[in-house]
Amino acid sequence: MPSKFKTLVTNLVAAITVIGFAGCGKQETSPTPGASSTSGSQFIIGMCQCNLGEPWRVQMNADLQAAAAKHPELKLICKDAQNDTLQQRAQIEEFVSAKVNLLIVSPKEAQPLTEPVAHAIEAGIPVIVLDRRLMGDKYTCFIGADNQKIGKAAGEWIVKALGGKGNVVELMGLQTSTPGQDRHSGFMAGIAGSEIKIIFSADMKWLEPDARNEMESALARFDKIDLVYAHNDDGAHGAYLAAKAAGREKQVKFVGIDALPQEGVVYIQQGLLDATFQYPTGGAEAIDTAWKILHRETVPKEIVLGTRLFDRSNVAQGGVELK
Amino acid sequence: MANSSLTQNLGRLKKILASPAGRAFLALALVLLVGAIFNAGGAFFKPGTHRDALRQMSVYGILACGLTPVIIAGGIDLAVGSLLALVAVVCARMAIHWSYPGFLAVAAGLLAGTACGSISGLITARLRVQPFIATLAMMVFARGLAKYASGGMKVSTAILGADGSYHYVEVPALFRALDHRILGGNVSVVTLVFAVCIAMAWLLMSRHQCGRYIYAIGGNEEASRLSGVPVVGIKTLVYAFSGMCAAVAGICQAAQEQQGDPEAGAGYELIAIAMVVIGGTSLMGGRGGIGLTFLGVLTIGYLDKILSINAVPEAGRLVLTGIIIIIAVLTQRRQRA
Amino acid sequence: MKFPQPAPNAPQPPLLRMTGIGKQFGGIKVLEGVQFEVRAGEAHVLAGENGAGKSTLIKILGGIYREFAGRIELEGREERPKSPLHASELGIAIIHQELSLIGPMSVADNIFLGRLPARAGFVDRAVQEKQAAYWVQQLGLDLDVRQPVEQFPIAVQQLIEIAKALSQKARIIVMDEPTSALNAPEVHKLFGLIEALKRQACGIVYISHKMQEIERIADRITVLRDGRWIGTASAAELSAPKLIQWMVGREVSEQSPRHASHPGRELFRGENLSVFPRGRSRRPAVQDLSICVQSGEILGLGGLQGSGASELFLGLFGAYGPAVRGSVYLDGEKVELNSPRQAIQAGVALLTNDRKATGLVLPLSVIANATLADLSRLARRGWRCPNEERLAAETTTSSLRLRAASLDQPVGLLSGGNQQKVAIAKWLQVRPKLLLLDEPTRGIDVGAKQEIYQLMNEWTAQGIAIMLITSELPELLTLSDRILVLHRGRSTAEFSRAQATPERIMAAAMGSGSVSSCVKSNN
Repeated sequence: MPSKFKTLVTNLVAAITVIGFAGCGKQETSPTPGASSTSGSQFIIGMCQCNLGEPWRVQMNADLQAAAAKHPELKLICKDAQNDTLQQRAQIEEFVSAKVNLLIVSPKEAQPLTEPVAHAIEAGIPVIVLDRRLMGDKYTCFIGADNQKIGKAAGEWIVKALGGKGNVVELMGLQTSTPGQDRHSGFMAGIAGSEIKIIFSADMKWLEPDARNEMESALARFDKIDLVYAHNDDGAHGAYLAAKAAGREKQVKFVGIDALPQEGVVYIQQGLLDATFQYPTGGAEAIDTAWKILHRETVPKEIVLGTRLFDRSNVAQGGVELK
Repeated sequence: MANSSLTQNLGRLKKILASPAGRAFLALALVLLVGAIFNAGGAFFKPGTHRDALRQMSVYGILACGLTPVIIAGGIDLAVGSLLALVAVVCARMAIHWSYPGFLAVAAGLLAGTACGSISGLITARLRVQPFIATLAMMVFARGLAKYASGGMKVSTAILGADGSYHYVEVPALFRALDHRILGGNVSVVTLVFAVCIAMAWLLMSRHQCGRYIYAIGGNEEASRLSGVPVVGIKTLVYAFSGMCAAVAGICQAAQEQQGDPEAGAGYELIAIAMVVIGGTSLMGGRGGIGLTFLGVLTIGYLDKILSINAVPEAGRLVLTGIIIIIAVLTQRRQRA
Repeated sequence: MKFPQPAPNAPQPPLLRMTGIGKQFGGIKVLEGVQFEVRAGEAHVLAGENGAGKSTLIKILGGIYREFAGRIELEGREERPKSPLHASELGIAIIHQELSLIGPMSVADNIFLGRLPARAGFVDRAVQEKQAAYWVQQLGLDLDVRQPVEQFPIAVQQLIEIAKALSQKARIIVMDEPTSALNAPEVHKLFGLIEALKRQACGIVYISHKMQEIERIADRITVLRDGRWIGTASAAELSAPKLIQWMVGREVSEQSPRHASHPGRELFRGENLSVFPRGRSRRPAVQDLSICVQSGEILGLGGLQGSGASELFLGLFGAYGPAVRGSVYLDGEKVELNSPRQAIQAGVALLTNDRKATGLVLPLSVIANATLADLSRLARRGWRCPNEERLAAETTTSSLRLRAASLDQPVGLLSGGNQQKVAIAKWLQVRPKLLLLDEPTRGIDVGAKQEIYQLMNEWTAQGIAIMLITSELPELLTLSDRILVLHRGRSTAEFSRAQATPERIMAAAMGSGSVSSCVKSNN
């Protein structure tokens, strides 16, 4: 009796672990209603997302599906690699053997995934690469945003908002990641030549609680802070809460990046942030480009997405596009 | 005459410093001294800085409160960071999206945390699975559950409407009450919550018979068993308590972020364990205490704050913190020999 | 390994000769003036009680103890084994009671551990396996040498150990209690093997306390007692009674106060008890034992290693969980004690034989240890009352005349005798009806021992029933009202105080006799 019980619960523990790993992200998402197939020219698009742990990627998949819903002849199948390079590689190979009409990949890393994508091209399947680059040029089209441009745009907006001079706190994203480095270098280019002073900068690793802690330190050290530039909206939000607790939120402006509809844009609407810059997911553009490819139109090798500025003056209109 | 009383006092001082509490105090005093020296233009002396430092370390400290009995009993709990996220999500959902009253959301959160902790405890104690493995599995499981319950997005005051647009609601009273300052703006409410957790944990370990049993099991499990100590029950209890503290931490975290983030708390368990160890509680079990953990929380918490106000770059912070942890553990070891 | 050939008509020196062997630890002499000799082609039994010095002698031979007085000669050449590896190079192989095989490693790896056939540092696996297979076959075993040893039953593992010894080309093979895990046919096979080894001119040193085996296998027998050599004789000359007399013969002194009996009603009765420490499918440590104790009585359990006495105590105390078959009656009521908690609540207390490992929590204070078993009663609804605890601890420890600087210091700092007193205090605190004492005076100085004997008198006067295990015969004889002797889990003899003599007890402990104890007394 005891050993039977033991086996049962050992299996339970194993099951829990398996479910746990599976629960780290949704597995497959079924195509949205409206894209159901009718016989005739139906195109199957395989989409391989490196992980659905970040809200931004959840948004990317949402954008893809919303865009695909508008084209009844497109059927979108999404797979989630749960941030595992080998799994992503396997999923790409699965799509290739299933002979999908087109592949969209948002790769976790460049080096290990370049070859599977090259195989797909050789098998005659066009591939759109989203957000992170691969090596070489064996793909059909790369669609992504440019963090340096966004950082520069933020810098320029800040110069204008502060009239060319002021004390700025920079709360940086993980400086060992490319987006963090680009958003910083772009920003520095944007404020070059002005009298903006960065009085305090810290690496908050994209995390809101860390940003809040760093902002508290800045508030303790400096009596005059004019603006906080955070590399993401979470950071800006955390900084805002710190300032609010100190009673100084009215004296400080807050600028973030990402502009997810349920985070950054809402914060602008609520009056917490002063500006945020969209880091576009490229979902809609990907479907557009896919449609063009499937209808045998030529597409550019690279599409660099622009960004949208959301601030108090234009948030109601859905922001303003910046080149 | 004067000489002998001097040597007597020195001897007494040496004895105090050799005790675990003395060494923990020493470590804290050194950190505070460093802060006084590198005070970032006087920022270290402002009362606001101390209030903020205490606020900042409270969530970690609450986790450390729950971890201390587990470690003293000879186990470990790696799941507390994930349980924090799970409860943050559950609490935020109930308080923000479903507009339940605060006490219900808190009760649900505490229940979820305690239940998950009990499961870890049962798997460890009854099924004799190693605590490292059992709580690692729970860590993964709870994180998955948190993501599932939140739909992968943060549970915030922005609610998705049927037409795809977002409307937002008020931050619930529970969160506002927790992320608040009292006593003339000098103490954060979460710091008080931390203090309450310290007190509860101290009562359990020092004044309740379960506390004595916990020390006994950590000191010699077999001898305890053969003395009639209910080993399975006590082990389950400590993990349940740890889960409950993780739940409290999760609620405080959600209140301070004004949202339930399924990714919250990642890596927090290691920081909390470091706080317990620096305080002087041994990972082997059987020795240590809540008071020591409290000192350990202050030590690491203040170290963090000092590095922050001095805007030490990230690489430097990691290196310094690592070195200090090693030094603290080494000084403990030398005294034992 | 080739020994130098002696001149044709010269007397052959023995394979092994140890003379004047002495060993002390600190100031305590464990061996003094011991002589021991083994000839080629003989099986020489080394006999003696627990603590006589047999294992120490063997450890010296095996290179585990490097420092010793005296002389060892191997075929006339003086040698001093400096390490186990050196000893095996000298041709000495020791098969310990606790097998020294490494479970997860393969048979071949185990056999060649430390002597791997290698070429330029790389292990030659094929050669190793072939050689291992050869040696294993010599023992009549047919198995795959690549399998991990832990897969094979203990009996086979023992033979693998012997194969290891043979592959080392050992001439002197020491077997320490080799049959403890074997059944009758396996023992028979082992003995056949020993005969074969004798024919190959090996010398076998065989340590055992089983009379039957000694009678079957021995060519000569050497007896040690209290670290001294008592005598060596050929098996033909040494009768069993004489052997026993050599082993135990000593003046049983009247130093310790004879226990005053106060027998009362029957407090504990066990019928057809079997204890299965490792689960129902494995061999029981105690089989079909019937036993009873009256209140105020001390029942001594005699027996040598492997008798099952300690396991009996642990089983009765519920330490193995529900692992006891048979009926247990406490104070007339049938009880099932499936956990230590249940046992304590029923009024049973167990003082284990290893206070550091299973008796005390060393980092905790004297008070904490002394109150550990009774904590719920001393607490108020779960909240501890430190004053009550201190009071209780002071009461019990003062009645034991504990000497400690303060009751708050950790017990790990106390001396062995005082530590034992704290363990005893813990059990006094729960006011047991039945007290199981396993080696209560082990590792304790003489003064403390006397105090404990005195206390046992007091306890029986209060009506507590005591079961006592002790490997010191004089202690057993002095303290017990009755003595039950166990051998391999069964009872072999029962003596009243008047009937008990060291020789009778030793004979029963070595296997002769069988008795059913506890004829139902009419109360």
